[in-house]
Amino acid sequence: MSYITVDGISKTFKVAKRNSGLRAALKSFFNKEYTYIDAVKNVSFTIEKGEIVGYIGPNGAGKSTTIKMLCGILLPTAGNIKVNNMNPFTDRKKYVSNIGVVFGQRSQLAWDIPAEDTFDLLRDIYNIEENEYQKTKEELINLLDLKDVIKKPVRSLSLGQRMRCEIVASLLHNPKILFLDEPTIGLDAKSKKIVRDFILKINKEKKVTIMLTTHDMTDIDKLAKRIILIGKGQILYDGSLSDLKQKYGSYKKITLITKDTIKDIKVKGLISKKKIDGGYSFIIDSNVLTISKFINNLSTKYSIIDIDVDNENIDDVVLKLYQDYEI
Amino acid sequence: MVKLFIESLKLSIKNEIEYKASFIMNSISQFFVFFTYYFTIVALFNKFNNIKGFNVYEILLCFSIIQFGFAFNETFFRGIDRFEDLVIDGSLDRFLVRPRGILFQTMCQKMHLIKIFRLLQAIIILVIALIKLNISWSITKVIVLLLMLISSTLIFFGIFVLTASYCFITVQGLEVKNLFTDGGKHMAQYPISIYKKGIVFVFTFIIPYAFINYYPLLFFIGRTNNILYMLSPLMVFVFLIPCLLSFKIGLKHYTGAGS
Repeated sequence: MSYITVDGISKTFKVAKRNSGLRAALKSFFNKEYTYIDAVKNVSFTIEKGEIVGYIGPNGAGKSTTIKMLCGILLPTAGNIKVNNMNPFTDRKKYVSNIGVVFGQRSQLAWDIPAEDTFDLLRDIYNIEENEYQKTKEELINLLDLKDVIKKPVRSLSLGQRMRCEIVASLLHNPKILFLDEPTIGLDAKSKKIVRDFILKINKEKKVTIMLTTHDMTDIDKLAKRIILIGKGQILYDGSLSDLKQKYGSYKKITLITKDTIKDIKVKGLISKKKIDGGYSFIIDSNVLTISKFINNLSTKYSIIDIDVDNENIDDVVLKLYQDYEI
Repeated sequence: MVKLFIESLKLSIKNEIEYKASFIMNSISQFFVFFTYYFTIVALFNKFNNIKGFNVYEILLCFSIIQFGFAFNETFFRGIDRFEDLVIDGSLDRFLVRPRGILFQTMCQKMHLIKIFRLLQAIIILVIALIKLNISWSITKVIVLLLMLISSTLIFFGIFVLTASYCFITVQGLEVKNLFTDGGKHMAQYPISIYKKGIVFVFTFIIPYAFINYYPLLFFIGRTNNILYMLSPLMVFVFLIPCLLSFKIGLKHYTGAGS
């Protein structure tokens, strides 16, 4: 039995259909039409204790909806979720004392007062014992470098400081599972690094199971050994990041600076061709078409000013996955 | 639970006095604005000696009990009154991932402490009315007075919860709500017997205002000795059942607010 078992969950939203214009607005006032949108369709996966899983996909793919169902906020339209033998929705109160949730785009800190006051309130919400609370708080504050920050009103903090305070707030009750919904959104490089190092550390030392959604592929690269890719509400890939890289790792990006116009080339192993400023950008599969052969081929026909060969980074890999699955 | 409520109260106080000047100005205006309500009643009684057999202090008693209940809700349960805000900005998601009841968290999250001056006023008027009325005090009189105050608080709580449930269906707060809270409040400030039959029916059997300040009032000012009149404020608990139930059902249909 896995720690987290998600079995064929779906979530359908009922959305009012409305066209623009006053007439349409009036019409919909009297006779509202609804459309049904499947935000998540028949999603299944399991997560073991102590794993870090990156949950990725484009905007509107269903990431947040899945996380909300896992947190017990939303009731799935169909399917089952079992976490540590509990049903998140029906066992809500018992279940949520074991999870921590960070919504990157939404604050849980009271705006006009210092973060420390919110922490104190959380101590009472979660019924944390005073000694344990002080100990956990100290530890988190040191790890996230927040010593002076927590005494200032939240409204005067920088985004990076606030996000780190959010993380402290979500971990004061020592949860076994942590859900991070875009934890590094809008942060500068330094804050990102602190947050990432911290996530790795609590995973390693406290064996916290972590599921994070992000659009930042460096997050995934640094944190998650396993990724689940979701698009249009369905799971498209579930596996290790290294497998994914290997599969697409033979792909090379070749940037060519030339004044000539390169016509369509038909050669096996060429994945894509794109016109860029001052030249072209190609992606080739080096297992099928070697770089030297490709360049040779071009240099006989065109005059090349400069050339640059690069490995594809994870961003491009994911973009390509999106393309492959047409999402 | 009590500890958490007190802790939230402290936080609310901190939050409100963060902006000092605005806090002082608001307090003063809150305290004086609502006295105008009472002035109108007194002015009215300068023209007429009684309304359907009720004298000015009986009316003020009735009035202050309803004001007390309403002001108590506005002060401490303000969050429930503004529940649609939580649904719109997604704060409800946050509450759902905490191991506490949703209504309780909603209460704790937002208190409108400035309204405490309104509560204070209701108490002042209540005390004045009680002194002037020459009540022959007994233990049952004390009980009925307490029951009236508690049930008045609970009935507005019920109405707040009921309208909060409606936010799960449409995110916009319901204007109809005001018909029952503000409108109902204004009507219930006077003994229900002064109104026409249809209105009496609505405020007896649909929203049981009559049970909390009319029937017990008759007992309190000695017009009847019927024990049922004394216990009638307990009807508010019957009213609370569908209110709380609808909230629970609404929560099941909650669909969140974007990412």
